Amino acid sequence: MKLIEARGLTKEFRIFSRSEGVMGAFRDLFHRRYRILRAVDGIDFAVDRGEMVGYIGANGAGKSTTIKMLTGILVPTAGTVSVNGYVPHKDRESYTRGIGVVFGQRSQLWWDIAVIESFKLLRRIYDVPREDFRRRLQQFDDILGLSGLLNLPVRKLSLGQRMRCDLAAALLHNPAILFLDEPTIGLDVLAKSKIREFLKEINNEYKTTVILTTHDLGDIEALCPRVAIIDRGKMLYDGSVDNLYSQWGQDKLEDIVKRIYMGQKPTSGSAGGGWDIG
Amino acid sequence: MAMKLPSSSKTAARYLTIFIHYLAQYIKTKMAYRWDFFIHIFTEFLQQSVSLIFILIIFSKVPAIQGWTRDQVLFIYGFFLVPFGIYSGFFNHLFDVPEKYVLQGEFDRILVRPINAWYQVVVETMRPELLVSMIVGIIIMIHSGSRMGLVPVWWDIPLAAVLVAGAALVYAGVYTFLASLGFWTEGNLGLMPMVYNLSQYGRYPMTIYRGPVRFLLTWILPFAFVGFYPATIVMHRYEYMGYALLTPVVGIVSFVIAYLFWEAGVKRYRGTGS
Ligand SMILES: Nc1ncnc2c1ncn2[C@@H]1O[C@H](COP(=O)(O)OP(=O)(O)OP(=O)(O)O)[C@@H](O)[C@H]1O
Ligand SMILES: [Mg+2]
Repeated sequence: MKLIEARGLTKEFRIFSRSEGVMGAFRDLFHRRYRILRAVDGIDFAVDRGEMVGYIGANGAGKSTTIKMLTGILVPTAGTVSVNGYVPHKDRESYTRGIGVVFGQRSQLWWDIAVIESFKLLRRIYDVPREDFRRRLQQFDDILGLSGLLNLPVRKLSLGQRMRCDLAAALLHNPAILFLDEPTIGLDVLAKSKIREFLKEINNEYKTTVILTTHDLGDIEALCPRVAIIDRGKMLYDGSVDNLYSQWGQDKLEDIVKRIYMGQKPTSGSAGGGWDIG
Repeated sequence: MAMKLPSSSKTAARYLTIFIHYLAQYIKTKMAYRWDFFIHIFTEFLQQSVSLIFILIIFSKVPAIQGWTRDQVLFIYGFFLVPFGIYSGFFNHLFDVPEKYVLQGEFDRILVRPINAWYQVVVETMRPELLVSMIVGIIIMIHSGSRMGLVPVWWDIPLAAVLVAGAALVYAGVYTFLASLGFWTEGNLGLMPMVYNLSQYGRYPMTIYRGPVRFLLTWILPFAFVGFYPATIVMHRYEYMGYALLTPVVGIVSFVIAYLFWEAGVKRYRGTGS
C-alpha cells in the first residue's frame, strides 16, 4: 500500500462576479453569478514511504490547492485521497499528528511569542516526550543554526530565519510526511542550501516522505529524484528527473521546464515514460 | 485502536494541558505590555459601573418598574454579569473568525494541527482577564440579595452553577453560529454589534419589553436565558420557574445546533488563492 494515494483528485472553486453599481449589488444579493474554476482536475498521484517528490507547475497551476487537499485543509470536490491510512479532511485530528506542514508564504508559528515558546506549545499539542523534543531541537539547531533565534518573537525574524524556525517546528513531532509549499521562496543562496541540506538529512535519517512545491529548480536538482508537473490542474508529467533529461536531450532542467510550461512535448521518438498525454 | 474510555480521558487531559499552556503564554505576552493589560481590566470595571449607575439613576425616580424593585433588577444584572464574563473571556472573539480566519486564510494553520479547530480558535483568542466581570456580578448579587432580605438555601449555589453554565452555553452557541456564517460570507457581516446590543437586553426583566421582543429574546436569540429567567429563580421568585429551569436545555440545544453549523462551515472553507 502506498503512503499517499490520490485518484481523480479534483477541486473546483466558485468564482463570484460582482455586478457594478448599486443596482448591481442589489441584484447580486438575490442572484449571485459565478463561474466554476477547476483548480485541480482529476489528478492521480501515488507516493511511497521515504520518497522526496518535487511538485512543480506555472503560477496558478494548482500546486497549493493540491497540497491543501493532501493536508486536509480543503475538502476535494471529487476523487479519493488517502494518506498514511487516513482520509485527510475526514480524520483531521488524528491525521495531522503524522504530518508536518510548511507554507513558505505564511508562518505556522504564533506571531507574538518567542520561537522557543512556540516550540514548547507544539510539544504539548503533539504530545512529544521531553527527551525526544530536546534531542531533535539540538539536532535541528546544529544544521539550521537556530540558537540565536529561539528567544525572539516570530514577528521580529527575517524571512529566512522564520523559514528555518517553521521547518524545525514542522518536524518536532517526527511526522511521517512533510509537506512544503515553496519553502525556499525569497531566500538567499546560503539559506537555500542550508535548508536543502537539512531536508536531505531528515529524509535520510528518519525516512520522512517529503512533498515539496517550488519555483526554484535548484531545489528539485538538489533533493528530488522524482518530479510531478501540473499544468492548469492536470498532471502533465510524473516520473524521474533523469528521464526528463534523456527525453528532452537537454542538459539544463530550467530549459526543459520552460519548454514544458510553453506547452511543448518531448521529441516523439523518446516520448512515453511518465507523460500523461490525453 | 486503543480502548475507548482511557483514550478519551487522556484526550481531555491533553486539552486541559494545552489550555493551561496557552494561558501561560497569554499571560507572558500581556505582561510585556503590562499597562495595556491593567487599563483593559480597569475599562471593563468602568463599563460595568456605568451600567450600574444607569440602573441606580432610573430607580432614584421610580420605586419599581413593571413589578420589579431596584434590588431585584440589580440582582438580575449581577447574575447576568457571570455568564457575560465567561462570554467576554472566551467567546467574544469568535467574531474574528469571518475576517481574520476565513477571509485572510489563518484557518489553514488551525486545520493542520491535531486539536479540535473550534477549541483552537477559542484558546487562541481568549481574553481571560475579562472574567473579572464575574466577580463584579457576584458582589452585586450578594449586595442586592442581602438588601432584599434573601435567605440563601443549600441548593442555591449548585443550581446557580448549572444555570450559569447553561447561560454561558447560550452565549457560546450564538457566537459560534455567527462565526460559522463567516464560512459562507467570507468576511464580516456586521451583525456582531447588533447581537451584542441584543444580548444586553437579557439583563432586564422581560416584562418591560413588548411581546415580539420577548419572543425574540426567548426563542430566537435566547438572551433572556443569560440573565433574566435564570436570575429570577436564584432570587427565589418563582413565576418564571419553567423558563428558568429550561436554561441548561436552551444552552445545550443552542450550542449543539451552532456547532453543527460550524462543522458544515469548516467543510466549505477554501482559504485564499495565495
Ligand atoms: N481560495 C480560492 N478561491 C478561489 N480561487 C482559488 C482559491 N485558491 C486558489 N484558487 C485558484 O485556483 C488556481 C490554482 O491556485 P493554486 O494556488 O493552487 O496555484 P499554485 O500552483 O500554487 O500557484 P503559485 O505557483 O502561484 O503558488 C488559481 O487559478 C487560483 O486563482
Ligand atoms: Mg502556490
